[in-house]
Amino acid sequence: MTTEPAEEQFTNQIGDHDDIWSIVDNALLGIGVTRETGFMDVIVSVENDEIVQASRALRDDEDSKFDYLRSLTAVDNTADGMEVVYHLYSTTKKHNVTVKVFLSNESLRLPTVTDVWPAANWLEREVAEMFGIKFLGHPDPRNLLMPEEIDDTFPLRKDHPLAEIEVLQGEGMGYSGEEL
Amino acid sequence: MVEVLSQTSDQSAEFETQDLLLNVGPQHPSTHGVFRMVMTVDGEVVRDVIPYIGYLHRGAEKLCETMDFRQGIGFMDRTEYLAAFNAELSYVMAVEALADLEVPERAQWIRMILCELNRLSSHFMFLGAFGVDTGVFGTPFIYAWREREALIDLFEEVSGDRMMYAYFRPGGVAWDVPVNFVDRVREVLISATQGINDFDSLLSENEIFLARTQGVGSISATRAIALGMSGPSLRASGVDMDIRRDEPYLKYDQIDWDVITGEHGDVFDRYYCRVLEMRESIKIVKQCLEHLAPGPILPEKLPRMLRTPPGEVYLRTEAPRGEYGVYMVSKGGNRPYRCKVRSSCLSNLQALQELTIGEYVADAIVILGSIDIVLSEVDR
Repeated sequence: MTTEPAEEQFTNQIGDHDDIWSIVDNALLGIGVTRETGFMDVIVSVENDEIVQASRALRDDEDSKFDYLRSLTAVDNTADGMEVVYHLYSTTKKHNVTVKVFLSNESLRLPTVTDVWPAANWLEREVAEMFGIKFLGHPDPRNLLMPEEIDDTFPLRKDHPLAEIEVLQGEGMGYSGEEL
Repeated sequence: MVEVLSQTSDQSAEFETQDLLLNVGPQHPSTHGVFRMVMTVDGEVVRDVIPYIGYLHRGAEKLCETMDFRQGIGFMDRTEYLAAFNAELSYVMAVEALADLEVPERAQWIRMILCELNRLSSHFMFLGAFGVDTGVFGTPFIYAWREREALIDLFEEVSGDRMMYAYFRPGGVAWDVPVNFVDRVREVLISATQGINDFDSLLSENEIFLARTQGVGSISATRAIALGMSGPSLRASGVDMDIRRDEPYLKYDQIDWDVITGEHGDVFDRYYCRVLEMRESIKIVKQCLEHLAPGPILPEKLPRMLRTPPGEVYLRTEAPRGEYGVYMVSKGGNRPYRCKVRSSCLSNLQALQELTIGEYVADAIVILGSIDIVLSEVDR
């Protein structure tokens, strides 16, 4: 390809990462973070017990003002535990940040952020039922998409079979590193 | 007279009133799909609403993890079936960002034209259905469907399908558009403009329609942002946020158009924002047609089996109902490791409770109609 790669284009469109880094660092002063640069947005990882504090700081800081929760989801990294991913946006400053919390398989629980962004309510309910992650202090911890009585199986985990046929045939069609 | 009045009020004070539980759905024409809400009603006034969703949950995200990148496109169509081009767009752009693919100019213009036309067809669907919600059965509904039909015919000519297009590919589009594409689009734009004018004169100034919609189901800008609303439903509250302008993708930064915002955040503003947005879409498509030049529609060296390096991206685009995002994680290989769909309808629907409490039962249906949900996208 002759022109600049897609990744470059995206970063150009969204603005210089250095600016966002300094804003995020300022807002999260005193909170332990790990920095990472993604394809489009910058990514910060915070500790499990500091997520509410970090969320509040990111929302209320004058320069960051991350008042909009775009998306909240989780990723199952099998043996390496799970990560909960928050995509934040500022409607006034027009910048983005991704916040991550890593959880070990032994303690799949973290505090809820519904007090910070009410939008997290349903999104956390979905993550809770799909991944079996417990959000402590959630105001309405019912199932969102699945029937109420299902509370012992978590469909979006990697070890969950895709369909009944897999169970019957005793083989997984699910994700494996190798080619199709 | 005064005596009688005081007597009746004394009597009514002695009556014990009891709240009534009113179940709506899951199969009910006014819920726009399989959606159930349990309302606590005090006389005609709604005191509480509990929405129940998930009747259409098919696990599209899980299915995407087991298919290669190209096969996932079909699932995106089926999440947002009224604006499938827009849904595909987020997905293929996420793959392109991960695989570092360059999209040829022509493919980008084609994508943009189709997405904006899809916005038109989706909003026409909304206008027709919303007319029915407010009690004008018949005329506007049929008018809307006539216009939508013309657009869908065009999509069929391009992609071969009326609703589930699967036309966008990582890197471009599946095949080039028909030779008479530009003429056909111009034709459709003329009829669509006429259709919007018809609607404007039929509904927007109708006294009964205004009485049903103005000042009903209002939400403030701050609350709408906090609840994660997006798209026209958010802009109606006066929030100036549109991903097409704020984080331009495709060629939106080369086009002259305006972001429509409302003022009061009520049902009428949500309706009227969409009407005005349709006029903007027509403006965008007209300019796109002038930029459409012959050229390749896929990159030259596109591997038959697409593989991406490890990485993750959250790619969002402005779909007709709001922000349609795809969070894709790749760990190398030819399949996404995780593919999360951020549904605009799910987040908009979350505001239903706040919009409806304190309104009349009959208005609850109008409010639900005004946030324009597609249950298939809510449940995924």
